[in-house]
Amino acid sequence: MNKTTLLALIMIVAAGVIFMNASKDVSTYSNFREADSTGDRVKIVGVLSKSKPMEYLPEKNPNIFKFYMTDNKGEEKQVVLAKAKPQDFERSEQIVVTGTMKDNQFYADEILMKCPSKYKEEEITLRKGS
Amino acid sequence: MDKIQYVGEALWIGYLCKAFIIGGFVAALFSAVSYTFSSLGNPTQAPTWKRLGNAGFAVHALLIISLLGLMFYAMVEQHYEYSYVFDHVSGDLPMKYILSAFWEGQEGSFLLWMFWHLVIGAVIISINDKFKLEVMAVIMVAEIWLNSMLLGIYLPFGEDLKIGSNPMMLIREITLAPIFNNADYLSLIQGRGLNPLLQNYWMTIHPPFIFAAFALSVVPFGYAVAALRKGEYQDWLRPVLPWALFGTAILGISLIMGSLWAYEALSFGGYWAWDPVENTSLVPWIILVGGIHANLIAKATGRAIRSTLLFYLGGFLMIVYSTLLTRSGILGDTSAHAFTEMGLEWQLTFFLLSFLFLGMALMIWRYKNIPAPAKEESIYSREFWMYVGTLVLFFSALLINASSSLPVLNTIIRYFDPSYIGRVIKDPIAHYNKYQLWISIFIGLFSAITVWLKYKNGEQVKAKWMVPIAIYAATALLLTWLTSLWIQLPEWHYLLMGATAWFTVVANGHFLWHAFLRNARAMGAALAHLGFGIMAVGILASGLNFSYLSNPFVFKGLFGGEGDEEKYIQLIKNKPLLVKDYVVTYEADTLIGKARHYDISFKQLGKDSSQRVFIDSFVTRPNAVYSNDFSKIAAFNPDTRHYAGKDIFTCVVSLPAQVADAEQAKLMEDSLKYAPFTALKGDSIRIGKEVLVVDGLQYPPRHEEFKNHALDVGFEVAYHIIDENGKKEEGQCAIGLEGSLMYKFAGKHENLGWRVRPSEQLLDQWLSPEDQLDYSVLSIKKGQEISWQGYTFSISGFDKNVDTSRYKVEKGDISIMGLVDVVKEEKSWLSKPIFVLRGNAPMSIKDYLIEEGLHIRLSAIDPATGTFELKVAKDKRNNPGFPLEIATNVPRSDYIVLEAKIFPGINLYWIGSILMMTGLLMAWWFKYKENEEWTSAS
Repeated sequence: MNKTTLLALIMIVAAGVIFMNASKDVSTYSNFREADSTGDRVKIVGVLSKSKPMEYLPEKNPNIFKFYMTDNKGEEKQVVLAKAKPQDFERSEQIVVTGTMKDNQFYADEILMKCPSKYKEEEITLRKGS
Repeated sequence: MDKIQYVGEALWIGYLCKAFIIGGFVAALFSAVSYTFSSLGNPTQAPTWKRLGNAGFAVHALLIISLLGLMFYAMVEQHYEYSYVFDHVSGDLPMKYILSAFWEGQEGSFLLWMFWHLVIGAVIISINDKFKLEVMAVIMVAEIWLNSMLLGIYLPFGEDLKIGSNPMMLIREITLAPIFNNADYLSLIQGRGLNPLLQNYWMTIHPPFIFAAFALSVVPFGYAVAALRKGEYQDWLRPVLPWALFGTAILGISLIMGSLWAYEALSFGGYWAWDPVENTSLVPWIILVGGIHANLIAKATGRAIRSTLLFYLGGFLMIVYSTLLTRSGILGDTSAHAFTEMGLEWQLTFFLLSFLFLGMALMIWRYKNIPAPAKEESIYSREFWMYVGTLVLFFSALLINASSSLPVLNTIIRYFDPSYIGRVIKDPIAHYNKYQLWISIFIGLFSAITVWLKYKNGEQVKAKWMVPIAIYAATALLLTWLTSLWIQLPEWHYLLMGATAWFTVVANGHFLWHAFLRNARAMGAALAHLGFGIMAVGILASGLNFSYLSNPFVFKGLFGGEGDEEKYIQLIKNKPLLVKDYVVTYEADTLIGKARHYDISFKQLGKDSSQRVFIDSFVTRPNAVYSNDFSKIAAFNPDTRHYAGKDIFTCVVSLPAQVADAEQAKLMEDSLKYAPFTALKGDSIRIGKEVLVVDGLQYPPRHEEFKNHALDVGFEVAYHIIDENGKKEEGQCAIGLEGSLMYKFAGKHENLGWRVRPSEQLLDQWLSPEDQLDYSVLSIKKGQEISWQGYTFSISGFDKNVDTSRYKVEKGDISIMGLVDVVKEEKSWLSKPIFVLRGNAPMSIKDYLIEEGLHIRLSAIDPATGTFELKVAKDKRNNPGFPLEIATNVPRSDYIVLEAKIFPGINLYWIGSILMMTGLLMAWWFKYKENEEWTSAS
C-alpha cells in the first residue's frame, strides 16, 4: 500500500469516527415530558408564561432566576436558570433553554431569547417637541 | 383625491440614485461580457473586447462611487424622506458615526464590499499579468450580483418577488402611515438613528476590514477560474500567491478585530464563542490558509495543483455562503448576533449557486488535464507534511462548517417535510472545542516538524533533521511542565495540546532566528507558526482557566454539575463585599451621554488576609447604555483591567427593574403605598422599629435631584431616621412648583426600604398664593435702611446681568436686578428682585425668601429722585407643620449585579494571533517583491 492510499484511508476512518462522535452532540428540540422521562440534558423551546410569577432575588442569589415556561406541547413547568435575569426578558417571544429536568423543575444553564427587534419598530418616530 | 404635493422632499436624489444603480448594473454586465469575450472569442478581436471591458469597468466604478457619494450626501443632510437615511441617521447622531451609520444596513455594507472590488479591479487592470482579463471577468460577475442586491425591482408575478432592495426609496412609498396624508410630513419625523450598541469606533473600523477581506477573496477564485479556462496550471501559482496571502492576512486581522470587539466592548464575556456568525468567517480563513499551503507546495514541486484550485475556489464560495447565512435570518435562534432580514435569501442563494456551478463545472471539465505527478513524495519531505497539514485544515473547516450549517440543513429538510423537527447542537462551545483541540495538536505537530525539512529531496536531510527536532521536543516538554505549574491542564489532551503548541513555538522560534540571520524571506512562515503556538497556549490559559470572581457564600449543589459555578455578585452601593481575595465596592455611577458608568473599586488583599494590607487596587467602569429614547437600558458594556499576565473583566449583567426600565419604574412607583403623617418641627413619627424626626425646613437644599432642578419655588424638608440600634440616618425630601407643574422629590432610604416625600398640603401651609398676599410698599433710596415687621431692608447695589431661571430676557427688554439686603436679628439674606421694562410696560419679577416666607418685588424706579419702590409681603404661615408621606417595604434600587472574570494569559492569545497575521503580511510582502523581480526579469 502506498502512502497516499494509506493517508486517504486514515482520513476517511478519522472522518467517520469524528462524525459518528459528533452526531452524539446533536439532538432535536425536546419537551418537558421527554426531558423528565429520560433525564437527559436537552434543549427545549417554549414561551414565557407571562401570567406566572418570575423570581430574581439578587440579594439572596444573583445566579438564580426562576420563571415559568410553556413548551411546544403546551406543558408548563418552572425553569430554574443559573444566570441573572436577562435584559428585556418580559418582551421575549420565544425562549430556548438547555438543561435537565429534576424534581418537576427544569434546571437550565443556557438560554437564548428571541425578541422583537428593538430598533426597527414599524412606526414613524415623531420629531421631539413638535 | 388629488395627489398630495409634499413639502421639502429632494426627489432628485432618489432619481439619480436609481439611475446610478441601474446604470452601474448594466455597465457591470457589459464589462463582464466584454472581459469574457476578450479571452474566449476570436484572438484578433481580443484587444477590442479588453478595451470595452475596461470602459465598462470605468463607467461602473464611476456610477457606484457617485451613488456612494450621493447617499452619503443624503445622510449628512438628513433627507429623512429616503428609507436608508431614515433608518440609520438621526439628528443627534455625532458626525463621527456617519460612516458606521452608512454601513450599518445591508445595502450600505454591500456597497462597501463593491467599493473594495473597484479598488482591487483598478489594481488588477494596472498590472501586467496574462490571467488578468479572466480575473476581471470574475470580479465583474461578482459585481453584477452585488449590484443586483440594490436594484429594488419588483417582478409582476408572485407577491414578494423582488430583485434587490433599493436603499434610496422614499419612505412614503414603502410604508403606509396616516402621517403621509400630511404634505408637510417631513417636518414631523426624525430618523431612527444608529443602534446605540454600534456607536463605538469598532463599528467604524471593523466593517471596512472585513469587507476588504471579502472582496480580496474573489481574486484567488478568479485566478483559479482563469487557470482552468486557459488550461495553464503552472504560471498562475506565482501571481496568485501574494493576493491570497494579503487577503488571508486581512481576513485574519478582521477576525482578531471582531474578537477584540466582542471582548472589549460587548457583553459576551469572552473573545470567541463559536457563534455561527463567527464560524462562517473563520471557515473561509481556514480554507484560504489551506490554499496558501497547497499553493506553496504546487509552486515548489508541481504537486497539489488540484488542491490549490479547490481551496481557492472554496475560499470565496465560503465567503458568499457566510453572507447568505448571516443575512438571510436562517441562523435564527442559534446565533446571538441580530441580523435584519432583507428578503433577498433567494437572490443570495442564486449568487452562491452560480459561483459554485462555475467552479464545479470548470473543475470537472479540466480535472483530467491538471498535472499530478505519479511518483510519491518522501515522508521526509516538506511537501508531504505540509500536504497532510492542509488536509487537517480542510477537516477543521469541514467540521466547523457542518456544525454551523445545521440550521440550513433543517430548513432544507423542512422545505420537503414540514413536520421535520430541527436538529441542534446541545452544547456548541464544548462541541467545537472538543474537535478543534485536535486540529490544534496536529497543526502544532506538523508545523514544528517541517521547519528543517526541504521540498523534494527528502531522504538526505533525514539525519540532520532528527537532532534539532529531538531538542525542540525536549524543550517543549519542559515548557509544558512549567505551564502546568502556572495554569491547570486537567486532562491529558490539554497537556498534549500545550506540548504541541510549545513544540511549534520552539521549532519556529529557532527557525525564525536562523532565517533572520540568513534568509529573511523565510521569516514570514516561521513567525506565523510561532504565533499559532503562542495563541494556542493563550487559549489554554484564558479559555480553559478563566475563573469568576464570585461570592463563595451563595448556596451550592443545586445543579450538580457545571452549572454549579457562582458567576455573579450583587453589589450594593457603597457596601464593600469580600470576594475571594478582593474587596469589591460599587462606589458611584455617572451618566455620560447615553451611558451610565459604574465605578467599581477592587482592592486586593495580600496573601496574609488577616493583616488587611492591600497589595493592589484599581477601579473599573463598566456601563449600561440607554436606548435612543432613554426609556430603558439597551445594553451593557464591559470594562477590563489589563495586566501582563491576566485580565480582570467586569460587566454589569443586571440592574433593578425600576432602574433598567422606565415602564417598570412607573409600575413600581404606582405600587408603593404612601401613608400620610403630619409632624411639627422636632416631632417624631414612629413606624415599626424606626423613628423619623422632622428637623424642619432646610436651606440651601441638599437633595441631589432637587438641587439640579430649576423650579420657581420649592421647599426642602430635612429629617433624620433613628433605627432600632440607635443609628441615625439623615435625609431630605422636597416639593416645588414650576409654572403650574408640581414636583416631588422623595428621600430614599435603601437600607430601610423607605421613601419619604412631602404631601401637597405642605405647599398650602407654607406658601400663600399671589392673590392672597398683602403687599406693603416701601420707598427706599440707595444706602437708606427701612424697617418692616422686624426686618431691615437696604439696597446695596444693582446687577445688570439678570440671567436667572426666573426670568428670560426678551428682545427690547430693559431689565435690572436689585441687590436687596434683608436683616432680621442675627440673620441676613441677599434678595434679588428684578425690574423689567418691556415696551412701555413695567414688570416686576419677585424674589422669594423660603426660610422667612418673604415675597420681595422691585416694582418701580424713579431715576429723577433716585428712589426705588419695594413691595414686600409675608406668607400667612399659621403654625405650619410638615405633612409627609412615607412608603415602606420599597424594593432596593441601589445595586448592580456584576460579572467579574479573571482571564489568565489572555495576552498570549492576542500576541499569538497578531504574530500570525504579521507573519502572513511579511510573507505577502516578500512574495510580492519576488513577483515584481520575476516580472521585470522576464
